[in-house]
Order: sequence, then structure tokens, then C-alpha cells
Amino acid sequence: MSRHARDDNVPLNADATSSRDLALEVENLRTVFHTEHEQIHAVDGISFNIRRGETVGLVGESGSGKSVTARSILGLIESPGEIDPASAIRFEGDNITEYTESEYESIRGDGIAMVFQDPLSTLNPVYTVGNQIKEALSLHQDLRGTAATERAIELLEEVGIPDAARRVTEYPHQFSGGMRQRAVIAMALACAPEVLICDEPTTALDVTIQAQIIDLLMDIQAERDLSILFITHDMGVIAEVADRVNVMYAGEIVESAPVEPLFAEPKHPYTRGLLRSIPSTQTSGDRLETIKGEVPTPNEPASSCRFAPRCPKSFEECSEVAPIPTAVGDDPDHDAACLLYPESMTTDEAVAHHRPADDGGEQ
Amino acid sequence: MGADTDVGSGSTRTGEFREEASRPEGDRDLPLSERITRNPGPAATWAAVVAVLIAAEFGAIVSGLLSVPPWGWVGGLVPGVVEPVAALLATVAERGAELPTITSRSVIDNTGYQTPSGWEGTTLGLSPAVAWALRVAVIYTYSFTWLLVGWWGYTLYRRHYRIPDWTPRDDVVNRFRRHSWGLFGLTIVFAFVVMALFAPVLGPTTVDQNIENPYENRIDYYNDETGQVESIFVGEANGDTQSRGQGDNNVGPLEYDQYDRFHPFGTLPDGKDLFTFMASGARVSLLVGLTSLGIAGGFAMVFAMLTAYYKGLVDLGVVIAGDSIQAMPQLLFIILASFVLSDTWIAEVYNGGLVLAILFGITGWPALWRAVRGPALQVSEREWIDAAKSYGQRPRVTMQKHMLPYVVGYFLIYASLSLGGVIIGIAGLSFLGLGIEAPVPEWGRAVSAGQPYVATQSWHISLIPGILVVIIVTGFNALGDGVRDAIDPESDIGDGGNENVAAGGGA
Ligand code: SF4
Repeated sequence: MSRHARDDNVPLNADATSSRDLALEVENLRTVFHTEHEQIHAVDGISFNIRRGETVGLVGESGSGKSVTARSILGLIESPGEIDPASAIRFEGDNITEYTESEYESIRGDGIAMVFQDPLSTLNPVYTVGNQIKEALSLHQDLRGTAATERAIELLEEVGIPDAARRVTEYPHQFSGGMRQRAVIAMALACAPEVLICDEPTTALDVTIQAQIIDLLMDIQAERDLSILFITHDMGVIAEVADRVNVMYAGEIVESAPVEPLFAEPKHPYTRGLLRSIPSTQTSGDRLETIKGEVPTPNEPASSCRFAPRCPKSFEECSEVAPIPTAVGDDPDHDAACLLYPESMTTDEAVAHHRPADDGGEQ
Repeated sequence: MGADTDVGSGSTRTGEFREEASRPEGDRDLPLSERITRNPGPAATWAAVVAVLIAAEFGAIVSGLLSVPPWGWVGGLVPGVVEPVAALLATVAERGAELPTITSRSVIDNTGYQTPSGWEGTTLGLSPAVAWALRVAVIYTYSFTWLLVGWWGYTLYRRHYRIPDWTPRDDVVNRFRRHSWGLFGLTIVFAFVVMALFAPVLGPTTVDQNIENPYENRIDYYNDETGQVESIFVGEANGDTQSRGQGDNNVGPLEYDQYDRFHPFGTLPDGKDLFTFMASGARVSLLVGLTSLGIAGGFAMVFAMLTAYYKGLVDLGVVIAGDSIQAMPQLLFIILASFVLSDTWIAEVYNGGLVLAILFGITGWPALWRAVRGPALQVSEREWIDAAKSYGQRPRVTMQKHMLPYVVGYFLIYASLSLGGVIIGIAGLSFLGLGIEAPVPEWGRAVSAGQPYVATQSWHISLIPGILVVIIVTGFNALGDGVRDAIDPESDIGDGGNENVAAGGGA
């Protein structure tokens, strides 16, 4: 844990859990894209972890760096993107950011698998759904021919596709949106992964189907003791699926907490804004509140609070000091990166607590 | 499962071939051989028809397949082991050629002579023109039957044996069937390929007898003055049947010469039969064209996959290599290189044909690669490539299975376009007296030989080959257009957004 001491961005809960229970641990992940004019810090020093059998939510607006986080974990960042060498992603005891491409291939699928946002484009339209599930089966379970077909049909049944024996020979275009996403999930299950990353798996679907897919994912998780990283922009979905939540904004995690305290007492102004934009928390008839403006492109290292331009509570120091994750609220796992905290301090003290020069910042 | 159990937007695409009734349920996961065993009827009927077609041409098929490789040359490569085998195969090929087939010259013989009492030597005493036309008709009918039987076999497979009711390829096939310009191209290309395949029996005479060894073969003819049947060397006869523009020195299209030989396209300036020359030349052009496309296409596809998958430096390297090749003037380079190679063993294969094929291949790949690079890059950005990577698929398999099928369509389009170009290129080189050497027939040489007589009554020598080249190149272009429209990238692999909205709404 010596890394942590050096690293002022590590949330407090990192030490709370022994690393044996952790399915995946992301430590100070920085992913930078080098363009001609600037460097985009798409993921800027985030840390979180996923315990075995747990669902961790990663929530934020589009452009906040959620998908880049997912791709970084899977080693799918391509030039001009680059993962900072000081970052660590620990899976089964190894720092996989140091893996070579072929070592990465060996953990993709049966170690970490991913369900993408758009089920239609995830499936190759020229092969049958069965063919694509069998491709994963032959890679990860060494099943071929009739045995693979049978297993593919079982998997399709497991994800709730009726008449699976017939559907296994059909093409993605013959499936409805919800059915396709079920097929994609079946494909991920064919790899028998430990960690499943779901990147906006319900965004492309309509509401009733969304609920079914979420139920399905939760059932599968319970059955297989899967660890899930659930990425979405939808706080409503997060409330249903996640055990713990990380709120991401402009490449940084601004608040992280178990799901109940987060929804009961959101601390970060951004999280509060997100929660106010969920329909169910409003009395009917009222217009939903939305956060005005857009997520800025993080094109330089953080020297201020990136939410300041949109923050209803911002004050002068917000554009001078970059806040660090700080324990807030009653739950020891509840952190927020905002200059208003810790609440026990005066504003000046709190700002001093966040200033980089301040050594005792973490506690 | 509630609302999302319906089939979705895809089901409306299932076209005219959805005939599920004859597809027994429960056979879905059996291999093809099993599916055929369970329902052997359609396959057996089809196989019987194919067997009849093969039997009708058995000798020609055997000899045709075996005579393509230059056995003498192959045997010479590794004397000892390979030589006897090569010699044996060459003999088998020759024997096969002797077996009678329905398209054999001996079955419908068009060589004979006219006596006062009528035609002697030809089949049933038909006139050589009619006999020849009959044989051509038989050959094309036979070939066209193969085309139909092939299509029939495909529909049988689709109806009785294929497991899915619908595949994305069906849409492509259906679109091509409705594309009349593409079908026109297919017809022309098919006619050309048949001409190349059946070259030895299509001509009114043979290359060996008429063109390559005219002084080793004799023909009989009826001498009006003596009233006798006499015999003469073909070479001597050719000397009297030259087409040289003025006076009697011309045998035009569809004319007989004084030895009662029928010339559908007339004769060359040296008195040889132009049609025989053309048919055999089609074979040479096609062989060289396809070989060079095979070479160029191999390079282009491998590079397209690698550059699209790895991008960056790999892409840059191939761009530089391709640019350097394209910076050279292609034909000049080929002329120079074929001259340099002209004394080596490789120049002897097909009288320089192999050298040409290799040179066209080496200089042609950058253009093909550029043509397929865009589509390859596009498909490499697809999410299913990421998905394949995300479940640990190996790069080679990802390229082969998930990228290549998309690029193959585009490759076919550009290949058919550039095949026409290669054929023109080869003809152009022969026109200049380079490339494929005499006596192997090549169209460009006919154009060149006839050039001095274009404005005379012997216009046919240049004009017929010239027009045929134009028609064939147009045919390949039309075929390429048809394939492109059939693949229709917008509706099949275009952005999934709209499709998905539709599907989501329907779910
Ligand atoms: S640090 Fe300031 S601007 Fe940023 S969230 Fe807190 S109050 Fe708002």
C-alpha cells in the first residue's frame, strides 16, 4: 500500500477492503489522448475498486470519461491515446497496464468481458447470433461443433431468449433491440468472465426493455457471482443496480459512496444536480431540473474545480484550487471532491485542506 | 419475456425465398452432410444433373484441369521426383483430350470441302459455316446450362438445406438479380470466360494446325481444275488466303476461302484464321489477367487488413511502399522489366505470359490496396471489432472473420474494373510488339497486324479485336457496378443508428 501514501487522489475506502476480496482495482488511472494541438486528459487520475460479486456504478454525463475508463481497463486504448505508466489496474494480483498485447488477449473475455452500448453494432451482421456465441465459446471453453451449438442454445435460454434453438441460427437483424442485447450478454457469458463491464447496456433500448435487461443482469450476477462495473449516465438505473457508485465528471471521480448514502445525502453539487434531473424524485408536473452547460474537455492538468463554471455553489477559490477526495457524511466510504468539505471546517480551512502544498491533506 | 419477444424489424427483410415448410425442425444443429442424408431428394436430383453435365464433357474437363500448368516446365524444376509425375499428368491430360465430348470438334466437324455433289468431310454433310455455328451454339448452351444448374443448386440449398431462413447475403443476391446493367456485365464476362475455356474447340480450326505449326499439317480440298481431291500444307493454303487489303487478297468475316475453309472473323494478314486466334487469345488474356489480379489482390488484401487493424506505422510503411511503386509509370516499368527478364527461364512460361502477370501484379497492388483501404479502415472502426477484441479474439482471426468479408465485396468491384485494364494493358503491350511473344495468340497483336489495313476491305483484322476488347472491358465494368450496387454499403453495413432506433421502437 506504499503507493497510496504518495498518492493524494486515493479515496479513503481503498484501504478498507483487503485486496483479496477485490475483483478489480483501479489506481490513479490516467488516460491521455495526444492530439495535434493539445493533450486531452480523458481520464485524469481516478481510483476505484470492485469487490467480488458486487456491482459498482460509474455514472456521469457523456464526455465525462466513463467509456475511456472501460476501454482502458480492457487495454483497448489505441494511439493517439495512452495510459500513463504511473497508473495501475490490478486484476488477479497483476498490474495489467503493464501487460503486452498478447498477455492482454489472455485475460480479455474470460477475465474481463464487456457489454457495449449498441447491441446492433456489437454483433457482426453477416454471422448468425449462434456463430458469434460459438466463436466466444471456442476461444474460452474450447467447445466446437454440436457441443458448442448446444451450449450456445443453453446460453440464449439463460438470457431469456425464447425458442433459442431456432434463434441461434438467425442473424442479428432478425432480432429486436432487447433480444440483441440479450444475445450480446449471452456472448459475454460464453467467455465466463470474472468481471463484466457494462457500458451503457440499456441506453439504446426503450424503457420497458431496459428494466428487463437490468433484471437479467442482476439475476446473472447473483447466479454466477459476477463482479460488474456498470457504466451509465442514468442515475435512475444506477439506483437500481449499483452497490457502490462513483460519480465521474470531466475525467475525475467527484463523489463515491455506497448507493444508499449517495441517494439519501448526495454531497457534491454535481451529484445533487444529477439527482434532481431524475423524474422520480420530482413531484409530477414540475419541469425536470437539468444542469446547464456541458462537460468541459479536460485539456490540461486540473488546477481548479472542473465543475466550477456550472456549479451553483462555486466561490472564488473554486477556480484556483483543485479539490481532492475527502471523507464526507457518516459513511466511511463516502467521499467527495469539493472545496465545501469537510463540513466540520470553515471554508478557509477546507480550502487549505485541498491545497496541494498542504501535506496533511488526506486526513 | 413480455414485449420484446417479437422478431423485430429484421423479419420484414426475409425475401421471396422464405419457404420454411420444407425445412424440417430439429435439424438445425446438424452438419450439412447430415441434413442432406435426412432429405436426399433435391440434392440427389441436382447431383444427377451435374453428373450428366460432367459426363458430357468428361475428357475435356480432365484434360482442361490438367493442362493448365506447364508440365514440361514444372517437371524441369525438380528433375527426378516431379518429372515423371508431371509427365504422367501431361499424358493423362492428352488422353483426356482424346475422349469424345459433346463439344468435341469430331462430334460436329466443320472441316471439309465442297465437291460438285455437295460437302464432304463435314458432319451430316452440313456446310462448314452451319456446322461451326452449331458447335458454337452447343458450347454456349452447355455452358449456360452450367450457369443455370449452379443457380438452381444454390436455390435448392437455400430452400432445403440451409439452416437460417434468411442471411444478409440473400439481400445482396436479390439486389444483383434485379440489376440489369450488372446482369448485362455478367453475361458479357460469362461469354468471354466461356470463350477462353472452350478456346480449343470454339475456333473453326485449331491453333496447332492453323497458327503454330502450319507446315506440319495438311488439309484436303477439292481442286476445281483437276476435279480431284488434293492435299496441301496449311501453311501453303494460308499463303493464298491472306487479308492484305487490296485486290483478291482478302478473306473477310463470314467468308469461305478457296480451300473451303470458313472464317467467321476473316483471316489475318498472314492468312491465318482470326477467330481461332481470338478464341485462343481470350484464354491467354484471361489467364494472365487473373494471375496478375491474384498476385495484386493477395498483396492488396493482406496489406489492407494489416493497415486497417494496426494503423499507425504499419499504415505509413505501406503508404510509402505503394507510393514509390505508383510513382513509376506502370507500362514503362513493365516494358523495361520484361525486357530485362526476357532471357531468363521465367520468360519462357507461356511465352512471357507469366512475367507479364507477375509484373502487372507487382505494379498493380497499390491501386487495389488504395481502393480497399478505405472500406477496411471503416470496418475496423466497427464496434464488433472492439467486441471481438474485448472477448480476446486473436488479431488474425478478427481480421479474417470480421473484417475480410466486408472488404472482399469492394475488392471484387475494383478487381473486375482493373481486370479490364490489365487486358487492355496486355493487348497494348502486344500491340507494341512486347509482352506475349508470337506465335501465342494475343489480341493486341491482331490489332497491330491489321493496323495498316484499317482503311481497306481488310478492316476486320484490327476492328473486330478492338471492338471485342471494348465490349469486354465494358462488361467487366458493368459487372463491377452491379456488384457495388448489390453490396449497397449504406443499407447493410451503414451506420447502425437508424436501424437500431427502428429496432428499439419495434421491440
Ligand atoms: S469545489 Fe466549488 S465549484 Fe467545485 S463543486 Fe465544490 S463548490 Fe462547486
